[in-house]
Amino acid sequence: MEGFIRTFVSDVTQVMAGLPIREIAKAINMIQAVYERDGRIYIFGNGGSLALATHWVSDFNKTVFSHNLESHSRRFQAIRLPSTEEELSAWANDVGYDMVFAGPLQNYLQETDCVIAISSSGNSENIVKAVELARRRNVPVIGLSGFDGGRLNELSDARIAVKTEKGKYEIVEGIHAVILHLITKYFQDYFDHQLARRSSGG
Amino acid sequence: MILVRAPLRISFVGGGTDLPEFYQKHPGRVVSATIDKYVYVLINPTPLVDKFTIKYQKTEIVDHPGELEHTRLKAALLDLGLVKTGLEVGSFADLPAKTGLGSSSSFSVALLRGLHAHLGGVLSNRQAAEEASRLEIELVQEPIGKQDQYAAAFGGFNVFQFNSDGSVDVSPVLADYRKRAVLEEHLLLFFTGITRPASSVLTEQRSRVDQHFETYVAMAESVPEFARRVLEGDVRGMAHMLHEGWTRKRSLASMVSTSVLDALYEAGLASGAWGGKILGAGGGGCLMLLAPPGSHASIRRSLSDRAAKDRLEGFKEIGVRMVQSGTDLVYRNQQTPVR
Repeated sequence: MEGFIRTFVSDVTQVMAGLPIREIAKAINMIQAVYERDGRIYIFGNGGSLALATHWVSDFNKTVFSHNLESHSRRFQAIRLPSTEEELSAWANDVGYDMVFAGPLQNYLQETDCVIAISSSGNSENIVKAVELARRRNVPVIGLSGFDGGRLNELSDARIAVKTEKGKYEIVEGIHAVILHLITKYFQDYFDHQLARRSSGG
Repeated sequence: MILVRAPLRISFVGGGTDLPEFYQKHPGRVVSATIDKYVYVLINPTPLVDKFTIKYQKTEIVDHPGELEHTRLKAALLDLGLVKTGLEVGSFADLPAKTGLGSSSSFSVALLRGLHAHLGGVLSNRQAAEEASRLEIELVQEPIGKQDQYAAAFGGFNVFQFNSDGSVDVSPVLADYRKRAVLEEHLLLFFTGITRPASSVLTEQRSRVDQHFETYVAMAESVPEFARRVLEGDVRGMAHMLHEGWTRKRSLASMVSTSVLDALYEAGLASGAWGGKILGAGGGGCLMLLAPPGSHASIRRSLSDRAAKDRLEGFKEIGVRMVQSGTDLVYRNQQTPVR
């Protein structure tokens, strides 16, 4: 058992060492720009990635500001798509699963927004459709993918590909969560720093 | 109705190497950052009024865009074939024009992004920068380079490389918020009160590029080093490079500096600034200084004394923060088509 655990940890460590750091930095700048123009951040994925999208929304909307909730009148506006199970099932049942993200996204999307798409294969049809919609409207796309990056990586402006062998969902999804927390922590520190500057008159 | 917002920029080193006389022979490079001062362009179709109403410092109301005095708007409307249906275009800005902060190109990028949206199209950042460059350089025949159009379209802290085939590489300087804050806390920006269109300085400068070719090469080559210092948070090193760059730039055309500008800059150095430069093509505009925060009060005092002696009535400090956002379509109403 310990051998199994050691091998898993070593696999994760190896993949972590190859993360595209510059692309993560670009993603942080894109999110900063969306905040400056008071835009919204739409996050979506399938299965475990949808759970991560929901987690991300909670961390962006609250955790990032939680040290001083009352002091930040303007906060992130992160929204998971679809935002209700009813929309998910309506689009899937009536139109098709390929439209469960692009369908609801069409209602909201403005040029000031940005999109965070999460897909381990990078090839889920519904993810690709939503990302293509964002691109048509000149909305920046942050793509978190795995394996060889797939179509999502090609279509993204910030290309955060967690490169692994095909099918290593457990590693890709775990590292996607680490990236989510890295970006959350960056902005938590940033907003704390902003407050400190404001109170020191800087 | 469509509202587009474009940021102004401060350019650190490499300005002038974005002129074709140089980059066609050697890659040009500029490093700049967009700031929290904006130009806004508002576009409103008026299908019931057969006029073109243009509002900026003055108001023009004409039957056909060909009659407009505003050169960029006239050229843009004619080029896009927007000559039949009535249209209102208004321009608003946080700061006056000709301050050396790239506002006229910010206007062009915002205008083109807005006009294309009005026509139901979408321009990417790169297309917006290219279209604005084409408007200003080819259609209006301004003697300017392309750095400001790219700075406004992309937004943020960037290194731009201008290649001989006319292509432009954009590479962001990914400084974290602490590094940006350190730079901001050392940076002072003063509007000198002197305005001069960039074209008057640039026309002379462009005719002498060959004569000063090695100086341009040194300016372009210094850009990666400046970006490195930004990432290291080495403000003193940046200040030194600004000073060096400004000294080089002064030698390129007779009108880049004047004795009044020199006196202001010298007053800043004498009160503790590590270095700085005049922003924009020169001849006027803004003075940027990098100085230890403890010296800011005495720099402010000595510069306003100096400005008063030279009767610079518009002299004013401008507080700035750097921003990431580029040219954004911030509002469109329901009448405007969305793809």
